Amino acid sequence: MTLSLVMHDWRLLERIVGLTNRLGCAYTKVAVQARDELYHATIEFTGPPDALRRLDAQLSRLLNDDKEMSRR
Amino acid sequence: MSEPAESTGAQLVLDVLADEGVEVVFGYPGGAIMPLYDALYGHAIKHILTRHEQGAAFAAGGFARSSGKVGVCIGTSGPGATNLVTGILDAYMDSIPVVAITGQVRTVLMGTDGFQEADVTSIMGPATKRAVCVRDVNDLERVLRNAFRIARGPRPGPVLVDIPNDILKAKCAPFNPNAPRPIPASYERPDAAALEEAIALIAAAERPIAIVGGGARSSNATHMFRELMAKLKMPHTSTLNGLGCAAPGDPRFLGMVGMHGWKAANLAVHQSDLVLALGMRFDDRVTGRVDRFAAGAKIIHADIDASEFNKIVKNKVALRGDLRQTLSHLLQRMAGRSLPTFEAWAEQAKALGGPLPQDRMPNGELSATDVLDEFFALVPEDGIVATDVGQHQMWAAQRQRAAHPRNFLTSAGLGTMGFGVPAAIGAQFANPRRKVFAIVGDGGFQMTMPELGTIRRYELPVKILLIDNHRLGMVRQWQELFYERRYSATDLSDNPDFVMIAKGYGIQAERVEDTGEMRDALERFINAEGAALLHCACFPHENCWPMIPAGGTAADVLEANPEAAIA
Repeated sequence: MTLSLVMHDWRLLERIVGLTNRLGCAYTKVAVQARDELYHATIEFTGPPDALRRLDAQLSRLLNDDKEMSRR
Repeated sequence: MSEPAESTGAQLVLDVLADEGVEVVFGYPGGAIMPLYDALYGHAIKHILTRHEQGAAFAAGGFARSSGKVGVCIGTSGPGATNLVTGILDAYMDSIPVVAITGQVRTVLMGTDGFQEADVTSIMGPATKRAVCVRDVNDLERVLRNAFRIARGPRPGPVLVDIPNDILKAKCAPFNPNAPRPIPASYERPDAAALEEAIALIAAAERPIAIVGGGARSSNATHMFRELMAKLKMPHTSTLNGLGCAAPGDPRFLGMVGMHGWKAANLAVHQSDLVLALGMRFDDRVTGRVDRFAAGAKIIHADIDASEFNKIVKNKVALRGDLRQTLSHLLQRMAGRSLPTFEAWAEQAKALGGPLPQDRMPNGELSATDVLDEFFALVPEDGIVATDVGQHQMWAAQRQRAAHPRNFLTSAGLGTMGFGVPAAIGAQFANPRRKVFAIVGDGGFQMTMPELGTIRRYELPVKILLIDNHRLGMVRQWQELFYERRYSATDLSDNPDFVMIAKGYGIQAERVEDTGEMRDALERFINAEGAALLHCACFPHENCWPMIPAGGTAADVLEANPEAAIA
């Protein structure tokens, strides 16, 4: 599973790594670019399909809270 | 009077808190957070000094659980912040809106292993919706505003704002009460097609059952839930966090579902052909063995948080949105239509289980379940009951008669011992005119017992019902059932004199150990003026029944120790 994630706080990667580990998944490739005060990450995850689905859903929640916190 | 030309970070924090409607905060001072405490001196926001930061976090949670408002707790850097972690994670697991504010060492010291320095945002990250350190005083107001907005929802939860000492001291523009407010978080509307699909499934069902969870409390959907159940005459059950949602006395309410739920509730779910899962998340204490949970049922899952859909149990229909809105839309769409009702199935479901099983007591021994039966018969309807965690929690959950989900407060998801007394303190501040009770076991009580000092200082009329079985009872029960009665580290037979301890804090206290004296003692306790503690010295080996062993199904329910003998 490859996800393109947009983060306002680059430290969110730490949470993503933690979640990935807790769900029994792993990542095989991480690329992050800073652009226009945002951090664009492309991450390749591996793991059981159910765990990847849960990871995807939880990341959406995480990124949404990140977006809300950055609101001006 | 003209506005001050400039303010400080600390003053700004209090200005924003006041503007967000905060009247009470729970906390404990220390070095890095001192500028905020200096600003609090003489401030209109009331600061409640707990005896430990964990007490502050639980109290903020109890305040929020019982009121629906955001609870606020404060700690200093390092140990002050780490002592908050358990209470904050507790709020996260049960989706409780809390804002935690921690002091941090000066920005120049961050990362140097400075005195009382901890990487709090990293530690708190997985325990919160967001954990943010503010490094520029000009960001402070925005971050705090967003913290409150995120804490409130759509799915509530805790947010941490970590503020270095120099940021609290820094000069900044004064708070502008007329500045535009951030727009509240938007709530997704339930999808019309999904609502229609749900109605079609209900119409076609023969044995439907509803399971209501904490989402109904968060979204203030209790009334809508009761209306739907009354309309459909559907049997319904509740998770631990959903207790109080069912209409009091509704004969179709089957009691709590799950590991220590009522037998009828579990068997009815097991035999159902449709489950309406409303604001609940299929916790493993509810489902047991997932692949056999409601195996013959289709699932309609209503939740505000899409990440809950298909996380544990696959649904047939997902209704995303605020539960109150979802139920309101469902009811509107059902109006005027010919839909079946389910009285006959509800009767059948009720008959699937009998009364709660109870261990027989040796002569003269006080039964904890008898105490709780009497207690809940006497508690006033608007009384608020907070529990700690363990056997007494499950016994209370089985027996409670809360008229509203904000009347029964318990640490459900995290199952945190020590929660009961400080949560009751928070609830009492949120509800100063109501009777607030804490039901605690002897294990959990001793984890946050110093909060008796908080009760005393603020002259809170909190009443503590102590179910003392001289054991860590739930662990002991598992050791009896599943670990060949090897009672490792669960004996508390050398407990202190709790009555003397309470009296040492100036709190009236009484001990009861005789069944014949129990009712009178409970009446004196419930009607006492001010704080009180009733120490119930109970039989050590009473077990909590029914019980579905972990990973089991409703068919595996135990109603007594299969070996029959009391250990």
